[in-house]
Amino acid sequence: MPQALTNDLETDSLQSLAQATVGCDFHIRMLEGPACDQLRRLGFCETMQVRKLANGRNMICTVCGTRMALSRDLADQVKVSPIFP
Amino acid sequence: MEDGFETVALTGNPNAGKTTLFNALTGSTAKVGNYAGVTVEVKTGHTFTPHGRKLQVIDLPGCYSLEGGSPDQQVARRTLLGEIEGSKRPDLAICVVDASNLERHLILAMEIMEIGIPVILALNMVDLAERSGLRLDPQKISEELGIPVVPMQANSGKGIIELKQAIQHPIPPTASTPWTSKDDPAAARRKTAYAICEIAARRPTTHTTTLSDKLDALFLHPILGWFFLIGIMLAVFWSIFSWAGIPMGWIESAQGWLERLVENAMAEGDLRDLITGGIIGGVGSVIVFLPQILMLFFFIGLLESSGYMARAAYIMDGLMSKVGLSGKAFLPLLSSFACAIPGVMATRTIDSAKERLVTIFVAPWMSCSARLPVYLLLVPMLLGGSEGGLTQALVLTAIYVLGTLTAFIAAKILRRRLGPDEGVHHFILELPPYRAPQWSYIFRHVADRGWAFVRKAGTVILGLMILLWAAQTYPKTDSEDPAEQLDHSIVGRISHVIEPVVRPMGFDGRTGTAILTSFAAREVFVGSMAQLFHVDESDDDAETRSNLRQTLAQQTWPDGSPMFTPLTVISLLIFYIYALQCLPTSAVVARESGSWKWAVGQFFFMSIFAAAASLTVYQVGSLLRF
Repeated sequence: MPQALTNDLETDSLQSLAQATVGCDFHIRMLEGPACDQLRRLGFCETMQVRKLANGRNMICTVCGTRMALSRDLADQVKVSPIFP
Repeated sequence: MEDGFETVALTGNPNAGKTTLFNALTGSTAKVGNYAGVTVEVKTGHTFTPHGRKLQVIDLPGCYSLEGGSPDQQVARRTLLGEIEGSKRPDLAICVVDASNLERHLILAMEIMEIGIPVILALNMVDLAERSGLRLDPQKISEELGIPVVPMQANSGKGIIELKQAIQHPIPPTASTPWTSKDDPAAARRKTAYAICEIAARRPTTHTTTLSDKLDALFLHPILGWFFLIGIMLAVFWSIFSWAGIPMGWIESAQGWLERLVENAMAEGDLRDLITGGIIGGVGSVIVFLPQILMLFFFIGLLESSGYMARAAYIMDGLMSKVGLSGKAFLPLLSSFACAIPGVMATRTIDSAKERLVTIFVAPWMSCSARLPVYLLLVPMLLGGSEGGLTQALVLTAIYVLGTLTAFIAAKILRRRLGPDEGVHHFILELPPYRAPQWSYIFRHVADRGWAFVRKAGTVILGLMILLWAAQTYPKTDSEDPAEQLDHSIVGRISHVIEPVVRPMGFDGRTGTAILTSFAAREVFVGSMAQLFHVDESDDDAETRSNLRQTLAQQTWPDGSPMFTPLTVISLLIFYIYALQCLPTSAVVARESGSWKWAVGQFFFMSIFAAAASLTVYQVGSLLRF
């Protein structure tokens, strides 16, 4: 399979942190949106592992060992893929 | 900054333990908390190296990066870059990092190394990191970054000596920064930080449920979380109202004993009256509320230190957003319940300039501790005179809720008038792990605040009490009737002038005069009322306060109708909920908003609003024959 197609398929299979299931671990694959730099400064970087802890108006997740509450708008800009046990 | 000493800057991400380390190094008692943004301005102190060399230590507000950020973070960045006028660049930076969160915290240390400041890495909270299963290798981190790395637990003093030993003299040159990239410096730093963490701070592969997880399941629950928040706030106010009775009794006994001592030792005359009635009685009637104020600061310190404060901000974000503010505004507003000054300063953690201005504007409507003496005098009058109990705690809570709700409504209107922000600001908040409170710091902070209150009572309040005593004693008449003497005195004359203004609000001239004296400091109101209504002091614990209430309850208008009806008391309470009677707060508002116009406008708006609200309540209540 050509590399470009593989990348497209991978991108299509990504979900945003806002859509992700509570209680599961994810890899951050991509940051997409105007707040990328702010998110990276706070530890939301590509390849990092994130665990979603709660849904709601603001999501709660753990990244780099820190528990963070972030708005749905921000969570939408974090694209993740699940880590299968 | 002082010349002659080398300067060491304590820097790091928010809530990494910088202020705890600052206090441990300098012996200071700066406020520490368990949430991001406790430090909003630069603090300085001194320490000595093991070789006796004196160093100046500066504690900077936490920042995630040297780029952008909220006003407090910009202060840290500008200090490190030497951009603050009159201060030089630090000679050394101690970068305090949370050992549990190295991937993120190392990046700031690397940025500081890049701007050419020698760095020591203080690897703080290693106990918590290792307990969470993190395998730390400080030696390896030191080798990879080329800087000294000191593992430590600043809150228990572990590692302080090692840190002082690491501050060599002369300070070594800056370490090399081989990761630097011109294309994407931020990405290069991140890549290096993650690579270091891969080998020197490895995380466990499985997620283990911690105590913080279990507590957050309750405290951050969409429904249970509200029950806990309301329950905790109610418990705090109930405790303040109920438990402080015993120490208040001690203060009153001491006051009575002191008055008797003076009365027995001195001949009758004006000087004795001044000392017993003016100084001891006036100042004592304010000092008696010290236990409640200490308890309020204690509970707020407990909430901050345990980590619950950030959870409260999270819970409140939804409600705050309805009035155009975010959960981040909740922390400054909650701090304002203790004192509006730190509350106004804490708004520096808010990214949006307009949201910050609005929060500064409404913060004084959060009932501060100086209003507490007034509430504690008036609330029992409303409920029949007895003190303590759940009903009074509920009324007190309702008073706080009223101030808060009005602040929210004002915030909503003001936020709409100021228009949208220039940039987009999203809600993002670090939720620190729950920790056992740092009792020593809480008690030291409570003691500091208590001392500040006592100092104020010994200066501003004492001065006002003496002036008030003189104003109601002179000029003298030949009459023995105290009422005639008061009528003839300066206070009596002022009362006559004020009375037509305050009468529509339900007050007589003396109450109006007491309100006037409390524009310098709210808590003066209680002492002024005690003096103006000639309240008898008693040996019994709660009797003096009860005497004032009884005296007020017995006051009548010339037509014989009672002066202090429930409606009058409510009208008075309403005035004190809304009036901005604190000059230091106005000064801080002017500084933080960058404009005296804002502070003056706030003062007049709140004073007029308070008078209008009080007038409306009294007039409408009278029409309804309440």
